[in-house]
Amino acid sequence: MINYKNIYALLFGLLIIGNVAAQKDDVSPERKQAIDSLALEKVRDLSKYISIIGSKKTPFSEAQRVMDRAEELFATDSEMGVSSLNRKEITYYKVRKYFDRLMALNYDRVTISWYDIHYISDLERQPDGRYVGVVTIYQKFEGVSDDGMKYKDTTKKDITIYVERKKTQIQGRTIEFWDVLLGDIRVTETRA
Amino acid sequence: MRFVNRLVLFLFMLISHLVGAQLLDKDDESKLYAETKQVNQFFRRFNGEEDEKGDRYYPKDKQYRSEKLRKKYIGILFDASNRNVSAELKTQFIKDVLDKTEPAILDFHGGSWFAEVNTTFAMEGKSEPVTLFMELEQDHLGSKWVISKVHANMFESYFKRDTTKVGKFLHPLSHELDFMNLRRAFSYTDSASQFTVKRFVPDHLSVFLYEIKKGNLKFRTVEQLKFHFFQINGWYFELSEFNRPGYNTGWLISNLVMVNNESEKNLLLKYLYYEGK
Repeated sequence: MINYKNIYALLFGLLIIGNVAAQKDDVSPERKQAIDSLALEKVRDLSKYISIIGSKKTPFSEAQRVMDRAEELFATDSEMGVSSLNRKEITYYKVRKYFDRLMALNYDRVTISWYDIHYISDLERQPDGRYVGVVTIYQKFEGVSDDGMKYKDTTKKDITIYVERKKTQIQGRTIEFWDVLLGDIRVTETRA
Repeated sequence: MRFVNRLVLFLFMLISHLVGAQLLDKDDESKLYAETKQVNQFFRRFNGEEDEKGDRYYPKDKQYRSEKLRKKYIGILFDASNRNVSAELKTQFIKDVLDKTEPAILDFHGGSWFAEVNTTFAMEGKSEPVTLFMELEQDHLGSKWVISKVHANMFESYFKRDTTKVGKFLHPLSHELDFMNLRRAFSYTDSASQFTVKRFVPDHLSVFLYEIKKGNLKFRTVEQLKFHFFQINGWYFELSEFNRPGYNTGWLISNLVMVNNESEKNLLLKYLYYEGK
């Protein structure tokens, strides 16, 4: 699998050379749109990884590798907070644990698909200067056992994104770029 | 630079294709578009700052905060199943909000709104409900949510006292005996609150922090979340999340009250904070 993470960061960094000085604290609409695109790419990567991890066709070793890659998208200590229509109480899982559970689900066939819809919040600045936003996406899950038992649900995933301006040196030049990391994810089963 | 832009666009298209997301039912999708998916979207729809697909409008855009757009959105931001909020009240509210000379805009950092978070904690192993009232506070380079008040029924017994009865007291010449009767006063844990001044107002937040520090109180989960808004002059509204079938879903106005003056506002606040109960 190609590692797109570094490519995005580099391209994104190149895109903003030259007008870094003009932008100190606020995120301009143009910058916000560019950050949104970057965040969406990360979210799409995550969606893709979740589909692979959940699929029963994925060999164990490949699933482990994809989990490693998926974990790289997240800030340390990120958690998934999961609730369902029957169980309102939020259960908290570390990201890796959530993936492990997804891989181990007791179905013979699993289909994970995504609605072609997303919502991206405004970016708000935290006390430490980093920006935070939330991207909402919807997932459809279907698990079938060989004896014909079927389980279906649609979940809303509210995904935290952390946006940080970073610096790197390329051939003696300082290049600033915006990096996006995923954070906590709230997973709710939806009736909508 | 143009080449890089094209390359980025090409890469984005390629990745989108690789994701291979299976597109799902269009009807379901239109319901998800209709849903007010985040509190952020409630703000943007209320203010007329985004299009139907949720893409943001900016001040340079013609549609930004336009009365026509806001009128379209505000009507759908109410919980339609709530019969306690009359159509007349809604109409009056919308008229005030869209006032031509002074339209009302919600401001995320404008204060006068707070969250009510219903949680469960374990108090020495037993599940107990605890309500946290939270507000946004500016700090260093940005802002954060902070706890402004706490209410927990389990703390009520700490402060219970009956002021209508004579009850236990320290007589008015206790000072002449170096308050030696304090020994007797504090020998019963249940009656300690009877020796406090009448104007004493119990503060659950302090007890809450104390119990956490002592290790007696452990967080379990968040049960429910809602928001209380006093930002629109002369009005209070409550914002709750509705997870149900249909188009009238997500974050919606679940209660609306006309607030005529400061004393009505304070009374309502007291009620919301469980101080008058």
